[in-house]
Amino acid sequence: MDNHTLINSLKNKLSAYDIQYHHVKNSVTIEISKNDLIPICKTLKSESTLTFNMLIDICAVDYLTYGDADWKTLDATNTGFSRAVKKTIIPDPDENYDEKRFGIFYQLLSLDHNMRLSISTYTGSTNPPTIDSIHGIWNAADWFEREAFDLMGIQFKGHPDLRRILTDYGFIGHPFRKDFPTNGNLEVMYDQNLEKVVYKPVSITTRPGVPRIIRKNNDIE
Amino acid sequence: MGLKQDKDLIVDQGPGFVITSIDKLVNWAKSGSVWPVTFGLACCAIEMMHSGASRYDTDRFGVVYRPSPRQSDVMIVAGTLVNKMAPALRKVYDQMPEPKWVISMGSCANGGGYYHHSYSVVRGCDQIIPVDIYVPGCPPTAEALINGIIELKNKIKEEETIVRG
Repeated sequence: MDNHTLINSLKNKLSAYDIQYHHVKNSVTIEISKNDLIPICKTLKSESTLTFNMLIDICAVDYLTYGDADWKTLDATNTGFSRAVKKTIIPDPDENYDEKRFGIFYQLLSLDHNMRLSISTYTGSTNPPTIDSIHGIWNAADWFEREAFDLMGIQFKGHPDLRRILTDYGFIGHPFRKDFPTNGNLEVMYDQNLEKVVYKPVSITTRPGVPRIIRKNNDIE
Repeated sequence: MGLKQDKDLIVDQGPGFVITSIDKLVNWAKSGSVWPVTFGLACCAIEMMHSGASRYDTDRFGVVYRPSPRQSDVMIVAGTLVNKMAPALRKVYDQMPEPKWVISMGSCANGGGYYHHSYSVVRGCDQIIPVDIYVPGCPPTAEALINGIIELKNKIKEEETIVRG
């Protein structure tokens, strides 16, 4: 089965849903609405012409600052460059997100047909951003969805055990969001009097995370 | 007649003796067997394994890796110490019997290193435990770690256990 055959059978089986097909560089991606995720995934797994029986990965992307040109520098000051001194945005808990702020991408593999498929979908219209869990269809989604919840704060509805997987016990925030300060909010140190490791507010400030442009060197030119 | 042999010298001079101080004797004994608790956290632990394996063979220095802090004299913090690991590191350090020393191995353990500005990394394991020797490098080579061990032995030999200066 080649990609064109795959797209044809996808169009045939998923004609009921609003789907955009992308065929770029020998890989097929379908862009779907997050409300259609569960029925589409069930079809992809069960139909004999598709049988995507393996979930390879789930990843989430925060598009908050997507398109901001970090590399364009308007002017330089004593404190830094114009595009690198943007202050950290502190998230407002009541804030409403952009409808397509968070992209969630599923990578599937069909062992029967030796075909791969990416599903891309977006969420963010609610706070916290929600999407249905596909744990009922592929068990492998368990830890992937926990990771996406931990680092991006995406709620997977129907996940049996949605708790943090990587960050510290009692961690506050979702560190892979673009509005999370890269140096965090807390740091640890040993308290001699309490005789235990304690948390305190972070002692360093956020620095620009993008490479600096070296000023024009007149000696060379 | 004839040349004196070794056994004749012993008969002539009586049994031999060595003069030393208790401090030096104790320090010699301490520095001759510094057993590290294996606290490998990241890629530095691979270099620590190299130094312990047959090519560099830290057994030659009396450095025998132990799986338990209760049997250890020195802790080699090899790798990135993250916030989540910090209480566990302190607990293992507290479980070691006195006297005890700490070698901080690599940039991450020395001061956060590459991850200094991260939200989850301790900016140096000396925030959590007192450190005797800092071994620089990212990661330090096995030779560098052995140099650090030798420096620690020198430090132990300078200690004054009986008479405190």
